[in-house]
Amino acid sequence: MERSWYWRVALVVAVTLFSLWQLVPSWFYFKLPPEERTTEAYERAVPGWAPHSAKHLNLGLDLQGGIHLSMGVDVERAVKAKVARRADEIAEFLKSKGVPFESATTTAGGTRVAVKTDAPDQVKSTLLDAGYGDEMYSPGTADGAVTFAFKDTVLRDFQGKAVEQAEKTIRNRVDKWGVSEPDIKRKANNQIQIQLPGFKDPEKAKELLGRTAQLEFKIADDENPALDPLRQQLTPCAGPDGFQVPLPQGGCWTSETIELPNGSARSVTMLTANTRPELEKLIQEKAAPLLDPQKNVIGIGEDSVPSAAGRTPYYRTYLLRAKTELTGDYIADARAAIDQSQQFGQQGRPLVQFTMSAEGGRLMQKLTSENLRRRMATMLDDKVETAPYIQGEISTNGQITLGSGRNPQEMFEEANEIALVLKAGALPAPVTISEERTVGATLGPELVKRGTVAALVGLGLVLLFMLFYYRGSGLVADVALALNGLLVLAIMAMIGTTLTLPGIAGFVLTLGMAVDANVLINERIREELRAGKTIKVALQQGYDKVFWTIVDSHVTTLVAALVLMNYGSGPVRGFAVTLTIGLIASMFTSIVVTRAIMEYTTRHETARLSV
Amino acid sequence: MRFKSFDIVPHGTKIDFVGKRRIAVVLSLIVNAAILLWCVPAIHGLNFGVDFAGGTEMEVKFAKPVDPGAIRNGIEDLGFKGASVQTYGAEEEHTFLIRVERIALMSDEDVKRVVDAVQARFPVESWSFNPEIGDKIDFQFKQPPAPQELQAAVEGAGIGVREVRAEQGLAAGTRSFAVITQGIGEKIERDLSTRFAEAKPEVRRVEYVGPAVGRELRNQGVKAVLYAMALIVVYIGLRFDFRFSPGVIIALLHDAIVTLGYFAFTGREFNLTSIAVVLTIVGYSVNDTVVIYDRVRENQAKYKGRPLADIVNLSINETLGRTFLTSFATALSLVGLLVYGVGTLFDFAAAMLVGIISGTYSTWYIAAPMTIWFEDLAAKKKARAATAAAAPSAPAGRAAQK
Repeated sequence: MERSWYWRVALVVAVTLFSLWQLVPSWFYFKLPPEERTTEAYERAVPGWAPHSAKHLNLGLDLQGGIHLSMGVDVERAVKAKVARRADEIAEFLKSKGVPFESATTTAGGTRVAVKTDAPDQVKSTLLDAGYGDEMYSPGTADGAVTFAFKDTVLRDFQGKAVEQAEKTIRNRVDKWGVSEPDIKRKANNQIQIQLPGFKDPEKAKELLGRTAQLEFKIADDENPALDPLRQQLTPCAGPDGFQVPLPQGGCWTSETIELPNGSARSVTMLTANTRPELEKLIQEKAAPLLDPQKNVIGIGEDSVPSAAGRTPYYRTYLLRAKTELTGDYIADARAAIDQSQQFGQQGRPLVQFTMSAEGGRLMQKLTSENLRRRMATMLDDKVETAPYIQGEISTNGQITLGSGRNPQEMFEEANEIALVLKAGALPAPVTISEERTVGATLGPELVKRGTVAALVGLGLVLLFMLFYYRGSGLVADVALALNGLLVLAIMAMIGTTLTLPGIAGFVLTLGMAVDANVLINERIREELRAGKTIKVALQQGYDKVFWTIVDSHVTTLVAALVLMNYGSGPVRGFAVTLTIGLIASMFTSIVVTRAIMEYTTRHETARLSV
Repeated sequence: MRFKSFDIVPHGTKIDFVGKRRIAVVLSLIVNAAILLWCVPAIHGLNFGVDFAGGTEMEVKFAKPVDPGAIRNGIEDLGFKGASVQTYGAEEEHTFLIRVERIALMSDEDVKRVVDAVQARFPVESWSFNPEIGDKIDFQFKQPPAPQELQAAVEGAGIGVREVRAEQGLAAGTRSFAVITQGIGEKIERDLSTRFAEAKPEVRRVEYVGPAVGRELRNQGVKAVLYAMALIVVYIGLRFDFRFSPGVIIALLHDAIVTLGYFAFTGREFNLTSIAVVLTIVGYSVNDTVVIYDRVRENQAKYKGRPLADIVNLSINETLGRTFLTSFATALSLVGLLVYGVGTLFDFAAAMLVGIISGTYSTWYIAAPMTIWFEDLAAKKKARAATAAAAPSAPAGRAAQK
């Protein structure tokens, strides 16, 4: 006991110096204007002897500005799509096995497959024995149809995977986007939380993150004359002056001469219109009834013609085979580039080049070799981006030339965006925004200023009160309190927590609570002194007797703080973290630090204690 | 040795806390019941913020004074019902908090109206609406319509549309459409910037919380408070004696409810930060109780044989100064927030203050005296168990009245 203050004082000094050292990067960080903080200017400013420059205090989204998004993954839709795919598979499988059946369609709101058949038992046994039984079971037969449903475990697993993949995709997209310090987390209920500090354009964020980015390759069905009768029904696009924009209201027909694989050429009918909705309406009313949806679909693409205003875009159709031959799932890499080819009208256009994975390359090779000299449409999110002839076998490398008609800068940006989403992969299911919090850039600094002033006022009052009420011992408590504040900030900088607005409130509150421990100690010492004990004994007994009281009271608040940390997100979590660190620091400063100082100042027999 | 100090509570103060416990308990019961009743939605209800109610909230700052009524009218012209516009912070900052449609959920009626309108114009194959998502209807069509026309059809039914999104259809080669309503924030922002162009509105913060998330946060919030209470009670039970636990539980509930009362009676927004306050109060208000229980334990060893009521009263009186001072010191730290804090920050400090005061009161009048009451109950039970063998041994208590 006699000499122990020696070590304790050394410890206190060490902790103080350590805290100050930890705060060096933060000091330089906040000295810079906000826009320079993420630049190299900051890295350069931090001296070499300081901790790593990444270890600085961070401002939360609410203080810095930025976007917080929660996106719900629509797993039900993903399940429905899976069921629909399964219905197609089943139909194909039954056909290949020669099992008699009429149709295989989805039922029960798209959650089950119903196979209409006269031989229900045969269908059932064929399917369930053929490996489909691993994932599916048959709940029964009704109205001449056998129904099949996925097992619950399979569905749960599938849904979990869908969310996981959505998270990965979103993370990929954000990473490639270059936002500094994004935070992406999976939450309960198929939610994904995304935090983009310092990001200012919520619309762009939502657009980029919500895009499904489904890339599909389909083969053009140019031999099919199904649309030719429309030439008699619709207005031709070409007037006396040829093909000119704006096109006639409501859309029109035109043709293009396409070389067929057998060497002949055919004039293929296509529909065009000034806007996509116009064209969609035309397709719906006139073209769709002529087609067998099992065999053909109509793809819509964008093209442009020279006009007075540079180039004017219009929309056109492609008659395609319904089957999706290949999807973007196999894309390994994608990048934006400028078309260097000498082909007329293509030169200088932005394009997206992509590289397939080995497996994708194999499939692509098969597809292209089977369809040599046909046209292949590359569709992104339901829009035909490009439909070139397959000149030779393609394996791993491909490209998408973007439509024209807009300013090149804008288009190059779009090429970049497409490259990014292709590289990051498609979302397995649509996402909806369930939570969005945007904080503008001007609000943050003002809140920081207000919060700092509020914290300083609170701190000042507490310091004055202790000094006034406990005199000498109050001063000791004040020193401990200052060290407590320093320590909290240092730990926060060290473990990289973010300071939020409620976090500032939490910081102030912990200072108020930290002083409670000193009040308890000082009151106890007064009591012991009143009982006639010597200073040394009073100090010792005072500290010993309140030790567990202080621990107990800290632990109960700590319990609440930890529960809150588990519950809250964003700013509220910041509060809980600050409170937790504050409580731990407060236990140290009130028990160890003040005791060391008190024992140091009263080490001589003649010492006085003002409490 | 020079002993010069003053005590805010003079040494040797004897206030009869234990004797007043019946009045205090009745008073507290009335206050608590009143708060809980007030929180019942049918009677008054808490003013849930977007965190819990769902909806859109935006903070807009103008460069010039603007009439909040004009803002509200503008929003209602856009077709959003139940908008609230309130001044945020100081008058001269011209800042307003705009909140739209507490319950952002589309009602079944709304859904039916939209579906009917769409069905009347397009061949709908199937549609689905998930009330958990609440603002999105999926349509599958036999022949896909143009998105713009679909949007026009939905808006014709009187429902604002944020986006009509064409999606990959369920079956290969088909397309389906998601009609997403809401999008209030963007719409209002656009409208304000044209309507009040000369006052240069600046949207400083937008918060949109979907109804499902809101409900989830609300449920989790209640759970978090209950978990924290349970854990604290277990800790106190282990550290002291489980016969102290009921007093702690009751005091905790009391303080949590009174803190809630701040939000209930002032009508201030109850949001995530409010949950943080309630939880912190739950953790903090035990501190005083712990101090007294510690002293009770110490005094029980010191004055063996004295009735518990005496010991409890003595313990409260002995620790009166520190109970007051600790609460006072913590309250002092909040003054800055009360003066400089706006909105949530101010509410944080004010509710915390209410909780701290309640915590101090409940320590003196509820938690400590409760232990006597439970001790009495236990003693009576024991006496009854011992049947009418002898006259029941006088239980602890009664001696509080000097």
